Amino acid sequence: MSHRITASIALGVLLIAGSLSAHHNMSAIFDFNNRVKLTGTLNKFDWRNPHIELIVDTKNGTGEVETWSLEGPAPFFFRDRDVSKADFEGSVGKPVTAEASRARDGSRWGLLRTMTLPSGKLVSACPQNC
Amino acid sequence: MKNLYRISTVTASAALAAMLMLAPLPGLGQSEQEKAKARAAAKSKAIAQALENNSLILNVYDRQGKVVGTVGERGLFGGPVWSPDRTRVALIKPDLEKETSDLWVLDVATGAGTRVTNSTQAREFINAPPVWSPDGRQIAYVALRGGSFNVYRKASNGEGAEELVYQHPGILNLADWTQDGRYLGFFTTDLGGGTIYALPLTGDRKPIEIHKSKFQIIGPRFSPDSRYYVYASNETGRNEDFVRAFDPAAGASAGGGKQWQISDEGGGPVWWRREGKQLYLLGPDRGFREITVNTTGTFEAGKPRVIFNLGEAIPVGPGNVSMSLDGERFVIAVPTKPRLRQLTVFDREGKVLNKVGEPGLLVQPHISPDGKRLVAMRNDPKTGQNDIWTWDIASGKSYAVTASIDPENAPIWSPDGKQVAYVSTPPSGLASIYRKAWDGSGNAERVFTYTPGAGMVLTDWSQDGKFMTFFTGVLVVVPLGGDVQPNDRKAIDWLREEYNVLHGRFSPDMRYIAYLSDQGENGKLELYVRPFDAAKPNAPPPGPVVQVSKDTVGNVVWRGDGKEMYFLQPDPQNTDVHIMAVDVSTTPAFTAGTPRPLFKLKGPLTGNSVQWKSVSADGQRFVFAIDVPQDVPAQ
Repeated sequence: MSHRITASIALGVLLIAGSLSAHHNMSAIFDFNNRVKLTGTLNKFDWRNPHIELIVDTKNGTGEVETWSLEGPAPFFFRDRDVSKADFEGSVGKPVTAEASRARDGSRWGLLRTMTLPSGKLVSACPQNC
Repeated sequence: MKNLYRISTVTASAALAAMLMLAPLPGLGQSEQEKAKARAAAKSKAIAQALENNSLILNVYDRQGKVVGTVGERGLFGGPVWSPDRTRVALIKPDLEKETSDLWVLDVATGAGTRVTNSTQAREFINAPPVWSPDGRQIAYVALRGGSFNVYRKASNGEGAEELVYQHPGILNLADWTQDGRYLGFFTTDLGGGTIYALPLTGDRKPIEIHKSKFQIIGPRFSPDSRYYVYASNETGRNEDFVRAFDPAAGASAGGGKQWQISDEGGGPVWWRREGKQLYLLGPDRGFREITVNTTGTFEAGKPRVIFNLGEAIPVGPGNVSMSLDGERFVIAVPTKPRLRQLTVFDREGKVLNKVGEPGLLVQPHISPDGKRLVAMRNDPKTGQNDIWTWDIASGKSYAVTASIDPENAPIWSPDGKQVAYVSTPPSGLASIYRKAWDGSGNAERVFTYTPGAGMVLTDWSQDGKFMTFFTGVLVVVPLGGDVQPNDRKAIDWLREEYNVLHGRFSPDMRYIAYLSDQGENGKLELYVRPFDAAKPNAPPPGPVVQVSKDTVGNVVWRGDGKEMYFLQPDPQNTDVHIMAVDVSTTPAFTAGTPRPLFKLKGPLTGNSVQWKSVSADGQRFVFAIDVPQDVPAQ
């Protein structure tokens, strides 16, 4: 069960790996048990540290546009995963589907799990965001 | 607390990821073949270093704390768990090449290993220590497969296919398998609270919520008669162990919701003895305790009695220890590299000037502006707490600046050397910067509180006392001026880019900030300097960005007169580290000369070099926490 020693032992590593690639303790903000699936248009994105942000416009049952903000890992996360900024640049204004863990505050804010780009490419933010 | 389980099993992987980030990426002008070759070489080197730095050996201890055997060979693994008959140990082995991890079972007598799971896709891994079925024929575990954490079980001899037992919408951790074989126990926990479930292995396999709390919790471990379960919670402000009645039909209201606290000096991993008359608890002080209990009627528990303490050199926690069901043997994954470190002061030629204080679990030393004192983060073996300590270099006398159950880290000196600042993170996840007198006297003053759940690494306090800076992938500046409440202080994302920006250090004249970044074409961390305008701190002002280093692993330091800088450079042939100096000027504009080596330290240096700031203001003293080989027996 929990023990602070483990944290201290791992701290050095975490302060490298964690601080570079993560900002929030994600579970504080997002509910991993409350997932949402979105189909919409990638409106814009911000490819910067400490985490990328993807803005997706969807339509609700009455046809109104709802704007979702999806938080992803840091750009570094994608370096060796065959995913680049160019993949998202080429997807702006085009249809995408996404799955995210919803923010605990109930807002249209989510922690990205996966996104399928118009090219059919599946971008996964797991295991970091899973 | 959830993360602590995962930490222990993914440390090596995390270390690899960190090293890969520090490793060069193929540059422009290379062919695709050359790039692939360079990438493979960098990864191989990083894997070799991860193996070298993180190898463990599986030691078996008796009830007196004496090592009575080892199981298998040294290597990377985590989460050892005894089989019910104590003839085998299940554990998790990472495959750093494939970026996966799998379950293995080692035979205690021969050390022979049997692979139980077969992760095939990159980044598939086992989430936490597994649990054995009561008869030892099966193992249940949580694995990340296809982006979801699922519960599986499989024959412990590795034969047959794994059976998907349960899919949970979020992250979960297995904790136990009831002795009657009917239920698995698992939990979910995060900063929003925790829930413990019993998962029936028959019927619809719908989890039964047996305890829900707004606090973080870990458990359950069921009593052998399945009438009670023990779990850990931080509801008292620190981790303690509690027992509740288990009745699946009653769910969370079993036993009227009554709970018994069984630990009195901090909780930790707990195991039931087979007969159900003893509990064994590992406290935060590395002390194994025995508690006599009675589960036949209303639960009763005696006082915890220490059996033995492990030495400070043997780190032990929830992810690397297991007790046998007969209560006779502990198996612990022990690092093969030294863990204790000695604060050591060197001169510019690398001659040792002082060994300060006693060896300990010490990291992040920072020397005071007058060069007379040190501050560092220390893990206290008596409490298991991470606290901030200072030392007088001449006398070796030490002072506890903090003595809190909340972990503190990233200490730095104030410009006048009268205070130290540090980051403290309570269970709420609201990391804050505090400052306090260097000798620990008086109260700590909270200076700034960051975004909930976000971590920060504090790296500098400006010479004029008006700014602090920390990093979180982004270089953040915190203005301290004015009569502003801590919660109202606004952090400035001073340098937020696609690339990583770390370890900001203000120049003594406040006209520049030095930092580490991987912004170059080859993706390596290097030391850069760019202008800073204290009158307009919202963003970097116009001006050239100057790359100072050609290869570095951290330790960004300005000399007090701003005319020399220091950083660490890895030796290209081995893990040794060169301490580098470079002449610089900040007037009329920043310029840097050619870096030159001062001296070399034998590596690898333990700790996180990108956080180091180990040079005195006069550039004459260099302090590092140096590994000390030590074999500390249990007591």
